[in-house]
Order: sequence, then structure tokens, then C-alpha cells
Amino acid sequence: MRMLRAGRWITGIALLLLVGVYIRALVFTPVERLQGLAQKIYYLHVPAAIWTETAIVLVGLASAFYLFLKDPRLDRFAAASAEVGIVFAGVVLTTGPIWGKPIWGTWWTWDARLTSMLFLFLLYVGYLLLRSAVGDPATRARYAAVLGICGMCLVPFIHFSVYLFPTLHPMPIMMKPSPPSMPGSMVVTSLFSVGVFTLLYVGFVVQRYALSYLGEQLEASGEGGSGKGDG
Amino acid sequence: MQDVPQNGGYMIAAYVVAAVIIVGYALSLYLRARRSLRP
Repeated sequence: MRMLRAGRWITGIALLLLVGVYIRALVFTPVERLQGLAQKIYYLHVPAAIWTETAIVLVGLASAFYLFLKDPRLDRFAAASAEVGIVFAGVVLTTGPIWGKPIWGTWWTWDARLTSMLFLFLLYVGYLLLRSAVGDPATRARYAAVLGICGMCLVPFIHFSVYLFPTLHPMPIMMKPSPPSMPGSMVVTSLFSVGVFTLLYVGFVVQRYALSYLGEQLEASGEGGSGKGDG
Repeated sequence: MQDVPQNGGYMIAAYVVAAVIIVGYALSLYLRARRSLRP
């Protein structure tokens, strides 16, 4: 219960700071000359993408450790991180095409980066469906862990797909070895947004973890309805 | 000198969609917790 309350506080603060990101991006960051106002979608799209990839990597790591240690806390964390990763992937997959229409002239193209991101999203929807379909907690955790590790292997492919394949998607502007290719005020807004998405991730995962724990307690005391899944 | 493209509508749409997804998920967590804690 204390954890749930902590998660709510962190999420509340993160949502307030997200308003700050909107204000900073819209009012205090310059308009890019070639892309116009649509470039400002970057301040939501990229931090959401960074935290989608990070969330999925953390799912994979927690899943791998779960298979060795059989600690239910790792499974709970993996489930929480996967769900939050899907939410952020939803932000990426909606803001991306909205940026693509005015800049590329099309909402969607089946290139390596976009297609692999959509595949990752669908894979993790499958991950959550798998979790809700298997009744036995140990079996559910084991199956989900295997899928979680498979999903993690996709992340490097998604990240480096812009280097490996011909793609419409822009090259990384910030996450590259050389300094960021944009003015300081844009870098500050981007980093602020990454920080806020970090806080959102933590707040969401803490709440979702606490919910899983509550669900398990109810299931153990025989009040958990059908006793299936962990949603 | 090239004019800056007039595409502010797309930016507004993206910002609204992102807010709806994030706030919607925060709300879903809140409601799920309330349902779990109901006696």
C-alpha cells in the first residue's frame, strides 16, 4: 500500500513536470527552419522511444534473472516494465506517423525501423495476453520470461536499423558518439523531457508492481475471481 | 529565403495524442488500484 502511494506521488509529480515539458517545448524552444512546428514532436517522440527500449531491455534482464533465481519480485517487475513499455511504444507509434505526414508526405512506410518498432509493440501485446491466459503463476512467469528475453534481443536491431538498412527514419541526433546536432536550447528541452519520462516510467512501474502484488495477495487468499493471469 | 512550413496542426495533434495516452494510463492504474482495494 505504501508502494502504491509512492508510485502515485511520483506519477503525479511527473505529470506536472510533463506540463513543464510542453510549455518549454512550445514557448521556449526555437522553431526549426526546415521542418517548422512539426519538429517539436521530437521532444515527446524521442524520450518515449528511449524509455520504450530501456523498459524492454529491463524486462529481458529481469526475465533472464528470474529463470535462474525464481524470485517472484523479478517476474512482477518484468510484467510492470512490459506494460509501461507498451504505453510508451504507443506514444512512439502515434507521434511518429503524425510527424511523418508533413515531413515525409506519408503517415507510414514499411521500412526497417518503423516495422521493427511495430513488431516489438505487437510482441509485447502478445506478452501481456500470454500472462493473462496462463493460470499457474510459476508456468506463467517461465513462459513470459522466455518471451521477455526474445523481445530484448529485438532492441539492438531496432536501435541500429537506421545504420543497417536504407530507411526514411532520421539518424540519431542525440544518442550517438559525436555531440548532439542541434542548438543548446533544443538539447536542454530534450534532456528535460527524457528526465520527465524517466520519472513517469518509475512512477508507472512502481504502481503497476504494487498492483501485481495486491492481485497475488488476493489470489492467495482466494478472492481473486478466476485466479487466471495477473492483470 | 525559404518560408517555415505551416504544420502546427500536426504538432498539436501529436501533443494531444501523447497526453491522452499518458494520462489515460495513469488513470487506468488509479482505477485498477481502487478496484483492488475495494473491500
